[in-house]
Amino acid sequence: MTAAAIDWGQLFELVWAGALAGVSVSVAFATLILGATRATDHRRGDRPRQASAYFVLAAVAAFAFAGSVVFGVWVIVSK
Amino acid sequence: MSSDVVLVIVVATALAFDFTNGFHDTANAIATSVSTRAMSPRFAVLLSAVLNFAGAFISLQVAATVGSGIVESDAVTTTVVFAGLIGAIAWNLATWYFGLPSSSSHALIGGLVGSAFAASGASAIQADGLVEKVIVPGVVAPILAFTVAGIAILIAYRIVGRVRPGPVNRAYRLGQLVSGSMFSLAHGTNDAQKTMGIITLALIAHGDLSSSNFHVPTWVIVSSAAAIALGTYTGGWRIIRTVGTRIIKMDPAQGFSAQGSGAAVILAASHLGYPLSTTHVISGGVMGAGAATRLSAVRWGVAGNIAIAWVLTLPGAALIGAVAYGVSSIFGSGALGPLVVSISVLGVVLAFFGRRVARGQVLTADA
Repeated sequence: MTAAAIDWGQLFELVWAGALAGVSVSVAFATLILGATRATDHRRGDRPRQASAYFVLAAVAAFAFAGSVVFGVWVIVSK
Repeated sequence: MSSDVVLVIVVATALAFDFTNGFHDTANAIATSVSTRAMSPRFAVLLSAVLNFAGAFISLQVAATVGSGIVESDAVTTTVVFAGLIGAIAWNLATWYFGLPSSSSHALIGGLVGSAFAASGASAIQADGLVEKVIVPGVVAPILAFTVAGIAILIAYRIVGRVRPGPVNRAYRLGQLVSGSMFSLAHGTNDAQKTMGIITLALIAHGDLSSSNFHVPTWVIVSSAAAIALGTYTGGWRIIRTVGTRIIKMDPAQGFSAQGSGAAVILAASHLGYPLSTTHVISGGVMGAGAATRLSAVRWGVAGNIAIAWVLTLPGAALIGAVAYGVSSIFGSGALGPLVVSISVLGVVLAFFGRRVARGQVLTADA
């Protein structure tokens, strides 16, 4: 068993890509929750401008989260 | 006639392994969802079983690579495959009994390595392949998942920390439906194919299929998909309890961080051609999601037992695989050896589980 068997370049790529993907999914979903909840609260409080801003934030986060899910399914399907 | 019997035994053993793979790894997809009450246990196993079944039909690329680069192809005979499967099944059942999540893929590789070693000696094992495909991913996966889930939950708490907990928990439970489904689909695609690959290799060795054109027959795909789905539906509740509640007591945000970021890590790694164990990732993720909030939130004794099971998986399954091959070869190269080993293993399993059922000790979805 030798260290030469390890592809260090691929391993490094795995670490940063895995970390980026994992954290991004979590951040996107948390932002979606924040945006959706705050948008609802501001709409109920009759603050349409803030509600719209949070709605846009939620929409962007939802798009990012949905994109990661679609990418995940694509990875599974194209394997 | 004798080789026909060996083939039937290998196919049946491969499907039995597939079944244990399903119920052993159910925890990876559903444990966090069940413990945070994102899904009821019955719905969770049903959804996971359906997606494992569907996943098995998606691609056949993994099936063509089973054991390649780890065991010399010349050393692989139907008896070696059979003994390797016995090693993997025995290890899966042992770790399930102790409620320890361990990689079924590593158990299968361990079993094959042990039986090939017993059959042809050390020259049958490709050490570099073992390091690259088993040992390095086995070390990297839990550490990466631990770190990523830890960072993810800390950021998530910062983002949603001041939001009312009711909607936050409901949303995270909903998110776990998605992340759990991704886990199940990826598991079905990966793990059912290993059984397909083994059965196809046995059919090639038997002369039923051509070795020049790797083709998985439809009945092999359907039976492998059905076995892993049935195993998943049966549910390995001991391991589900360990991953879901015994490592940490998790809230829905932690459950999603462990599972969602874990699924993302697995799929990103898979995209780079670096398959990671779903078991290692979800267990590492659960520990990371707990430790990030408070180190003492993790029951390190349980985590230590899990780590020991991971270290022992390869040598443990290899040892059993080697013993199974040794016992089988006592009876010659015909069907008698595998037949005796199969009946013995089946007898031990039935005696053990029959006694447990009689005592009413079996864990179920409701227990």
